[in-house]
Amino acid sequence: MLQEDHPLVKSAGTVSLPAAELKEFVAALMQKFPVIAPILKGREYVFAQLEDAAQLADDYQPTILPAKKVLQQPLETVFSFVRQEAFAEDGKCTSLGEERICFVDHGAAVQKKVLFGVRPCDVNSFNVLDEVFCKDLPDPFYCQSRQETLIVAQNCVKPCRSGFCYYQQTGPGLQRGYDLLLTELDNAYLVEAGSDAGRELLALHPFAAAAPEMSLARDELLAATSRRLPKHILTRNLAELLEENVDHPVWEDLQRRCLGCGTCTMVCPTCFCYNVYDKLDLGLESGVRQREWDSCKLMEFSQVALGHNFRKGRQARAQWRIYHKLLYQQRQFGKTGCVGCGRCIYSCMVNIDLTDVASTLGGE
Amino acid sequence: MSNLLIPDSAIVREVFHENDDTSTFTLQFTDAQKRLEYTFRPGQFNMLSIFGVGEAPISISSSHDNRENFTHTIRHVGSLTRMFGKLKVGDLLGVRGPYGNGWPFEQAQGKNLLIVAGGIGLAPLRPAIYYILRQRELFGKVELLYGAKNPGEMLFRHEYSKWAAHLSMLLTVDDAAGFDWNHNQGLVTGLFDKMESVPENTVVLSCGPEIMMKHVTKGLLARGFQSGQLYVSLERKMHCGVKKCGRCQVGSKFVCHDGPVFAYDVLENEPAEIIGVLGRE
Ligand SMILES: Cc1cc2nc3c(=O)[nH]c(=O)nc-3n(C[C@H](O)[C@H](O)[C@H](O)COP(=O)(O)OP(=O)(O)OC[C@H]3O[C@@H](n4cnc5c(N)ncnc54)[C@H](O)[C@@H]3O)c2cc1C
Ligand code: SF4
Ligand code: FES
Repeated sequence: MLQEDHPLVKSAGTVSLPAAELKEFVAALMQKFPVIAPILKGREYVFAQLEDAAQLADDYQPTILPAKKVLQQPLETVFSFVRQEAFAEDGKCTSLGEERICFVDHGAAVQKKVLFGVRPCDVNSFNVLDEVFCKDLPDPFYCQSRQETLIVAQNCVKPCRSGFCYYQQTGPGLQRGYDLLLTELDNAYLVEAGSDAGRELLALHPFAAAAPEMSLARDELLAATSRRLPKHILTRNLAELLEENVDHPVWEDLQRRCLGCGTCTMVCPTCFCYNVYDKLDLGLESGVRQREWDSCKLMEFSQVALGHNFRKGRQARAQWRIYHKLLYQQRQFGKTGCVGCGRCIYSCMVNIDLTDVASTLGGE
Repeated sequence: MSNLLIPDSAIVREVFHENDDTSTFTLQFTDAQKRLEYTFRPGQFNMLSIFGVGEAPISISSSHDNRENFTHTIRHVGSLTRMFGKLKVGDLLGVRGPYGNGWPFEQAQGKNLLIVAGGIGLAPLRPAIYYILRQRELFGKVELLYGAKNPGEMLFRHEYSKWAAHLSMLLTVDDAAGFDWNHNQGLVTGLFDKMESVPENTVVLSCGPEIMMKHVTKGLLARGFQSGQLYVSLERKMHCGVKKCGRCQVGSKFVCHDGPVFAYDVLENEPAEIIGVLGRE
């Protein structure tokens, strides 16, 4: 069998889609799967399940929340439980004389779906989250969702409003991690399959053959986008700079400005932390255990019993986020925690910008 | 894919009140198969649940040799741990685990051991003490230093005479007023002047409030111990126990997975601003 990246295999999975037919293809996908894609909501873009292919925003700025919300949902029920005799048969029960407690696993049922129009930064964030959730003891929620989600990615042929993906090697062109990859050229999309599942999707629409010039045009456009990105981040020696500059005045400055609102972590595509809590219904006989995205920027995050907090000051928490993104996540999982999407920069009310911090540390 | 976040059920077989705010619970899995399969290493912990209230990491405080049941010694400090205080014999609770690495007995074999505990910190060390007593010949000199607020707060008091037959023990309290007390008074680090342990060929195991462990490491380093000989067990907020929720991170380490036991040389050069008092100031 030929390797996935063998030129023959690759070309067999490379086709052209006239721009006018994009929504037809999306409609064909919707016949088979729920399709989650960027749509315009108010003045911002969000990932949502399409009801009509016309809703698709094919040329969009990064969504407010990252695409990871489809795989690690902001709020999930881990299991539900009930303390009475009659209960769902699929539940797992324990009886002890009078007492009986049954569980229903909410991690089990996952539907196959298509995540359409994902940008390279977001796709790269999945590669980071895979390391967190699917190694050692796999998390049933994220990993099953991940397995059942087809990724139709979209290269960035225009710079977005605050990205610096090129410097993190996570964009604007995507290298791997997609089933299909679209690149918008003059009047057509170049469509490349990156997996067997992706090649199967090509059967859903009468695509045209891709002209060889299309690949060249793609490379040129992506190179141009790289040059025109609005932000850049210093990457040379960044790990050493962070290690050596724990006491740098820049952290004091962050502490003064940061409101500790947690927005930067909510919009981050590689943040994975969550909080867990139980909820009982009014009769106290049944309830749920839920988990919800959480933020290291919030005071309660590291608090343990007796009110002791290991990262009490706002400085410690402001510093922690940046160290985790730019240093620790790399050490933990061998992949950078920052995919350069720029969402944290764009959404911070007080303009805290981790690329500025890196430049300051580097003496730029 | 099985849902690793759903606990197994265990029944409370016995409740022993150690003192005003701490109790030891003997638990047994309701599922016979689970009882057979379940093993742990000294120093590991379980995630314990009261359904409808929550879940928290609690060290296993019994001997790993006992395969029928296991114990947890819990200090009732917050909303969940206070509910544990209300558990009675026959109640059900949820257990997931064991998690974490446990004490470094591979490195400690054939060596002397110095155990330094403060308050509830003796709970995760009790399985280590049982482990040592069970195969006493594997170790050289073993010394236990234990400090608590007052004599009434000391855990596992009824076992000390049995332990003292096989290892040296030094006890201290902050305040002995109102108690008949003929041991030491003052911080646990004050016992360093009295102990017999020397740096040569010794491994140190320590657990207690983090500020205590800071003073313990400082005091021992000043006495010629090397940071690689010192092992501390850390406490952090934990919501999963399986390296997913991110709550327990210290620098690039996950306490639930890479710890809770760390060689001090792993921590001492990490900035205190980021990992807490045990880090570099
Ligand atoms: C690996 C590991 C092993 C552990 N082993 C044990 C063990 O063997 N035994 C044990 O008892 N604990 C152990 N712990 C600690 C235990 O997990 C915590 O005590 C527990 O999670 C607290 O949960 P809670 O819901 O009761 O408290 P929470 O309600 O979550 O926390 C207490 C909160 O209530 C407030 N609070 C409560 N009491 C006071 C007070 N007196 N003064 C001021 N504020 C207060 C504070 O705001 C504090 O944040 C261990 C922890 C770890 C990480
Ligand atoms: S850096 Fe900005 S977005 Fe993040 S917590 Fe501080 S103020 Fe909020
Ligand atoms: S307890 Fe969740 S990551 Fe360690």
